[in-house]
Amino acid sequence: MKMKKFINRPEDVVKELLEGFTLAHPDKVRLVGSNLVARAKPKEAGKVGIMTLGGSGHEPGLSGFVGEGMLDVSVAGEIFAAPGAPRCLEAIKLADRGAGVLFVVLNHAGDVLSANITMGMAHKEGLNVKMVLTHEDISGGPNPEDRRGLVGFLPVYKVAGAAAERGMPLDACAKIAERMERNMRTLAVAASTATHPATGQPIFDLGDDEMEIGMGQHGEAGTGRMKLKSADETAALMLSMLLDDLKVKSGEELLVIVNGAGATTLMELFVVFRRVHQLLQEKGIRPVRAKVGEFITTQEQGGFQLLIARMDSELTDLWDAPSNAPYFVVR
Amino acid sequence: MVAGATARIRAEHARLSELDSHCGDGDHGAAMLRAVERLEKVFAGTIPPEFKTCFEHAGWNVMEADGGASTALLGSFFLGMAEPLAAKAQSLDCRELAASFEAGLQAVRQQTKAKAGDKTMMDALAPAIEAFAQAAQAGREIAAALAAAAAAAKAGAEATREMTAAFGRARFLREKTRGYQDPGATSVALIFDGFHRGLVGQEGEFHHA
Repeated sequence: MKMKKFINRPEDVVKELLEGFTLAHPDKVRLVGSNLVARAKPKEAGKVGIMTLGGSGHEPGLSGFVGEGMLDVSVAGEIFAAPGAPRCLEAIKLADRGAGVLFVVLNHAGDVLSANITMGMAHKEGLNVKMVLTHEDISGGPNPEDRRGLVGFLPVYKVAGAAAERGMPLDACAKIAERMERNMRTLAVAASTATHPATGQPIFDLGDDEMEIGMGQHGEAGTGRMKLKSADETAALMLSMLLDDLKVKSGEELLVIVNGAGATTLMELFVVFRRVHQLLQEKGIRPVRAKVGEFITTQEQGGFQLLIARMDSELTDLWDAPSNAPYFVVR
Repeated sequence: MVAGATARIRAEHARLSELDSHCGDGDHGAAMLRAVERLEKVFAGTIPPEFKTCFEHAGWNVMEADGGASTALLGSFFLGMAEPLAAKAQSLDCRELAASFEAGLQAVRQQTKAKAGDKTMMDALAPAIEAFAQAAQAGREIAAALAAAAAAAKAGAEATREMTAAFGRARFLREKTRGYQDPGATSVALIFDGFHRGLVGQEGEFHHA
């Protein structure tokens, strides 16, 4: 099937999308240097900066979460490809307001490579940076190194961003980010493929009547390809895998996020969420906070990611703190 | 030499992307093309005569191509190559270049745990550097050593066809990657072939362009 996308030259997409994004939110974000998205008004001096990197084509991730209460700078790479270390180093300097920088990295080969190289360069230059890796996708197996970073970046940006805004030092911000990270799990399901905006090719094949549990953000194959199931059956299957992995006990409080992959409608996401909520209540588990929507997408891929995170009073308080990020406004 | 590598990648980038579409998202050729075009720009402008600075510029620019793991590793390779060189050196003999290549390989090894047989660019890079070093040890000229390196890289890349991906995004496809040559290894083979072709006809010393 021919690609139908409203783009101009494929090689200009990233530059043009970032121009559009920053022009749409000029009071909140601005474009700096080569594809760095920074806050329009830098954070007060003396507070920890929060910074991230990631490929483009996943909008509103990740630059949509730059704003007061969340990220200071996001480094946008090419379509589905991590940005290089030199620009990450530039971003760290931009985010540093004298109290150091927390560098949040989603576990994907290219991102981690660039981040590690950046950390080496930053230490050589004597910059005060700590890196937190998110790897909460349980389809990767028991080894944390094999678990990808999916929509879990959202709670991590949120709680770390709020902690930084409150003036907490770098070590404390990193500990909070790590605690959030350890207590969250995600599982993705794909129902239909996306086309790569640069190549025009589908990024994976999936039969008309199939779905795949464990599909990664770039169509990386998962483990469970099966006949398409109903929303309730899919929700139940995925939730039980997540609850097992996180070892959630009755009485515990959870944050639940249902993240649309791009083509799955909000209608469907709400139907799924409703079933997740019912099942949790039946088990005596308390879904105390929830978000349903598109936070990280893969073009017009069909499917969704389901995240659960164990909350404590401090994490919930930080989750509730204000944010003016264009795609995560909390008043 | 750089012109040679650029020409090879430019000629083959569609095939690289095609290879990548079997195990990845089909953009490897485009990423490599961005990387070598940036290299070409660096080397076409007024470049410092010192090799150390030159390789540092190359590494920095390749990383800036935003090609994910491929360009991060290739950039690390060039940055690593700069490390053992004396700041003022404006010429390199075959043994010095071998030491520089080996430092480049070390720098890549610091960034990835991929080892021989994991179906990555390492399957072409490591044998190429080894072949170059052996030729240098044997007292060969740079052109001959590069010919040996290019042949070893090509053989290494071809051998990835029968391997199962154990690294990067492709590892999630496991057995499905068998039967396709690894795009990263193929790129490395093209680059070394380009280095060699670019140098043929030039005598003795290692030149920039």
